[in-house]
Amino acid sequence: MSTKLDYASIDNPKWRNLPPPPGFASSSSTTRTTSRPPASASASYAALKERRAWDQAIAPAKALPMQAFMLYMSGGGVQIFSMGIVFVLLLAPFRNTAGMNKAFAPFAPTKSDANALSTLPLQKLVYILCNILTLGLGLWKCRQMGLLPTGTGDWLAFETRGVAPEILLR
Amino acid sequence: MWKPTLSLLALLCLLQTTFALHESDAGVVDWHKPLIGVPLTGSLATAPVFHRVGSHDPNGTTQSVILTATASNVLGALEPASGNLTWRHIYEPEDPVILFRAREDIVVSLSGPGGSTFRSFDALTGQLISEKRLHRPDTGRLFEPANLGSHVAFPALKDDTGRKSTDVFVLTNGCELRRIDAMTGEVKWTWSATEEQKSFIVFSRVVSTPSAVYAIGLTKTPKSYMPRIEAISPTTGEVLASADLPGNIQNGLAEFMVISDSTDDKISPLVIWLESGTMKTAALQPSLKGKVLSARGAVYKSIKDVGLSDRGLFVALQSDDSARIIKIDDNGPGVKSIHDFADSATSTGYTESMFAGGLDKSGYPYVGRFFWSHNVGQAAAHVYSPHLVEGRGMVTGYTFSFDTNLHGTIEHVALDTANPKQYTVLARLFLTTSTGAVQLWQHDRIQWTREESLSEIKAAEFVELPERKAVVGVHAEEHETFGARLIRQLADGKEFPTYAVNFAKRFATGSYASVTNSAVTSANSTDQLYRDTFGFRKIIVAATSRGKIYGINSSNGAIIWSRILGLGWANEVGGRHQPVKVYVTKTVSDGDTPQVVLLTQRLASNGLVDTVIFHINALTGDDIRKPSSSGPLEGFDFVESEIVDAFLLQSDNRTVVAIDTHLQVHLYPNTEHSRREFSKVARKIHFPLRANGRLLGHQVLPTPEVTDKFTAYATWASNFPPQEQIVAVIPNTLGPVASLGKVLGNRTTLYKYLNPHLIAVGTISPSTTPPVCGVYLLDGAKGTILYHANVPAAGGVCDVMATLTENWLVYVYYDDEIVGLHESKGQRAVSVELYEGYQVNDKTKSSDTSIYSNKTSEVSFYEQSYILPYAVTAMSTTSTKFGISVKDIILTNRRNQIHSIPRRVLDPRRPKRKPTAEEQEEWLFQYEPLLPDDPRRVVSHNYRVAKVEKIITSPAFLESTSLIFAYGLDLFSTRVAPSNTFDVLSENFNKAQLVLTVSALAIAIIITKPMVSRKRLRERWYAS
Repeated sequence: MSTKLDYASIDNPKWRNLPPPPGFASSSSTTRTTSRPPASASASYAALKERRAWDQAIAPAKALPMQAFMLYMSGGGVQIFSMGIVFVLLLAPFRNTAGMNKAFAPFAPTKSDANALSTLPLQKLVYILCNILTLGLGLWKCRQMGLLPTGTGDWLAFETRGVAPEILLR
Repeated sequence: MWKPTLSLLALLCLLQTTFALHESDAGVVDWHKPLIGVPLTGSLATAPVFHRVGSHDPNGTTQSVILTATASNVLGALEPASGNLTWRHIYEPEDPVILFRAREDIVVSLSGPGGSTFRSFDALTGQLISEKRLHRPDTGRLFEPANLGSHVAFPALKDDTGRKSTDVFVLTNGCELRRIDAMTGEVKWTWSATEEQKSFIVFSRVVSTPSAVYAIGLTKTPKSYMPRIEAISPTTGEVLASADLPGNIQNGLAEFMVISDSTDDKISPLVIWLESGTMKTAALQPSLKGKVLSARGAVYKSIKDVGLSDRGLFVALQSDDSARIIKIDDNGPGVKSIHDFADSATSTGYTESMFAGGLDKSGYPYVGRFFWSHNVGQAAAHVYSPHLVEGRGMVTGYTFSFDTNLHGTIEHVALDTANPKQYTVLARLFLTTSTGAVQLWQHDRIQWTREESLSEIKAAEFVELPERKAVVGVHAEEHETFGARLIRQLADGKEFPTYAVNFAKRFATGSYASVTNSAVTSANSTDQLYRDTFGFRKIIVAATSRGKIYGINSSNGAIIWSRILGLGWANEVGGRHQPVKVYVTKTVSDGDTPQVVLLTQRLASNGLVDTVIFHINALTGDDIRKPSSSGPLEGFDFVESEIVDAFLLQSDNRTVVAIDTHLQVHLYPNTEHSRREFSKVARKIHFPLRANGRLLGHQVLPTPEVTDKFTAYATWASNFPPQEQIVAVIPNTLGPVASLGKVLGNRTTLYKYLNPHLIAVGTISPSTTPPVCGVYLLDGAKGTILYHANVPAAGGVCDVMATLTENWLVYVYYDDEIVGLHESKGQRAVSVELYEGYQVNDKTKSSDTSIYSNKTSEVSFYEQSYILPYAVTAMSTTSTKFGISVKDIILTNRRNQIHSIPRRVLDPRRPKRKPTAEEQEEWLFQYEPLLPDDPRRVVSHNYRVAKVEKIITSPAFLESTSLIFAYGLDLFSTRVAPSNTFDVLSENFNKAQLVLTVSALAIAIIITKPMVSRKRLRERWYAS
């Protein structure tokens, strides 16, 4: 089980009402139980969440140079290794976009619905754009490898010709 | 990018090395029939003879060969016991063999005009011992017959000192006599007639005696011929004496001959001729003082040399054609009659007699008379043995059942005899028939037959065989009730157990059909009329110029059926069939028995020419129109004149369309259905015809004329320069086109120019200096020239070979022009490809564009020329079922080999520098001018496939494989896979390993499955 920072419940963690471990001073707990967190702390949490959301949004773009390097290293041939990387590149944007709301849910502001598309719209837009960049890289690689049917040659097999209107006897 | 391409290339190279024909495949996938051609029976100098080697040998072991010169310009020797070819020598076309003679182990031949070239061969092995040019061929005198002025005589076998002599006296050109050593070709001396004599004397015979050699000729006088004799010293070549005999010969050589008896030195040679029916003789003495004597008592019509003139025997025919054997004699007039053949006078009961002489092992001469007896319907032989019964002579007569329905009539007989017991004479007859077959008969039993007319195939076609149906009669009726169908299918189901057993057996033993196995089945089994698994077995229907048509099994060359082409009304006057074309009008895919139509021109002896159609069942040779008739096939007089050209209309009905000289269109079958079908498309039909060295395009009027026949009219004429004459029209080979274009490395496309009307035309312009040949590509429907190249005409002849398939033209010519320092004479192959438009991705849809569109002439072409290391005699491309496999060029060279040249090598887009990555992706490799003479590319193994004139190819049932049949003098057939056999599992695929692996895995799963489930259960219980 992976450990994950739960920013969404940073304001009211579920561990708040647990008794302190033995040996811990109970003096602080008494003050903490009564007082609400100061407004400044809550604002900094919001800023932190927003920053983390922005980080998440441009994460695919940050990975691009590394992916480009890997593509370069994998060579131009149609092989299992390069194909694997290309498949990852092509599939990741779609997977990411599909799981976008979930990925951004931890960073949602306290009051909004964490799983709604409309929360963090700017970050999500940038996230989509960055994924498109990744997709673009993948497609570019496909094209380099000649896997995109862009030439007339790729459609030649589907071309048909009719019967000649005149008959030459021979 | 380049690494995988390189590995692909490496793979390709590997494939290439595995392409070559394996020695183990030779004789399995291919067959070769060496032939000698139809014997030239017109003259004794070239007709078949039995020749016995070793008869002068005291040990008594002899060996016989049958020697003959043939119409295919071959001197050949056959083994009498088996009919196998012992040896043959193939003469060049400009060097026709005119005479051969054999003595002991030496065969000498004269060939060329007037006998310009002397050759000697070993009689048993055919090794060329010596060759000598006696005069320049262009100074040779042309006689009719060609061997009139040539003769060969052998001196005594041992000369005075007892040394074995290998010299021969050779008379050539009607005026020159030489003594030549046959072992070395050294000319000991030459005697030549004076220039004055040459103009009116033709020497035609040589006779050798120990004291003098006589050259005997005929002097032309205003009314007749007069014998002229020169006695020449055999050692020095000096003339000892000359004499003109007071003779008066009317018919030239038919009434004149020279006989001698080489076994008796005391009997001097005799000159014999007929003078108004009286036989005159003159003995030859070195002084030429002899007198002309007359043999009185009988009137003779003609005298016949039976090949025993050096044994003092010949046949004379009396006025009623009754034959008499006459022998040389040293008394009286020099000749005496020793036997009259009984009942040999002209009669309605039998045909005219043929005579032949033969020797037995001891060297005794025999004379045979052969004829066809109408009364008994058999051939008869009467053999007279002069030395038997104390020299009184004996006749052995018998009949033998020669099959005229299969072999026509007997044209020539050669005789060989054996005398095993006192009063027993066994004759061996070597027959040459009118259909070009040769047969050996031992007494009255046939020993073997060789169909030598297969050396003169004029038209041939592959015909697909039907598949053997596992269940017979599956053609379900349209309105079959459910119950009936159920019963039928249940009945069909009874085959299932055998099928299952067979399947299990096949699976267990792995005995599947293999592509490297022979497609031969046991002879006479009905299997050979059914297709094999891969369709390698087909029937080759071949029509020969000797009036016979054959069905040949393409997997082993065996003749399945053969029929004589009947002459129809011309049977009365005589004539012959000249096959024009063979069309397959019904194939297996039409759901009927395959049928062929043979179109021939019948040239009757009275000068009338008809076009005749034979409609034949390709599987049995039966006449489709009259299936029950036996004997010769009777054709159907299709057009009562010559035809200009004939075509096959590729419609459902496959109608044969013939155009006669009045441009009338004749259809076969001429049924209402085919006429309607034709009139439907008549407006669309175009065809080019050759006329006066030009090409005229024609169309058909849409409605029939008054004569109820469609008529064609000319629409265009080829616009070649006026002095150019068309020598060849090569149509585009029909076949499916798998790909409409060629995809380049950058994935743009060059669209193939697939104009269905494309034809290639070869021309010659003899009047220009130097003469040039033209190669054109034309739109055959409207005459537009799409491609033109001029190539040099070496020696003023245009023998440019070309083949055109899809958008690809390959032509081969001989380049004798040297312009620059770095050029050389030699054979060139040019590869031309046509593509639509003017650049990549240009598309004009050339294959279905109307000819009235301007777009049909928008074409660009790539061409490249290569140096061929050999001269090409015939050329074709492979053809496969769907056209997916690449097309190889199949060609035969002068060295009697058949090559297949891969298309990759001939690709005109091969770059002239190191290929770029994109070009490598197209598998192009760097251009090299020389096409290497790669022995792995020889598909004919080490057979010498002589004088191939044409190659036809046909698809097998496997897409990868193409069948090849080459004919000319020899027949050869094989199969090639230009792209390798990609559609069958490799021979060395380890089936056992696959089965073992799969079954081992299955067993492993069965064993481990419970183990794993037990383990899982335990894990659940004792999970930590």
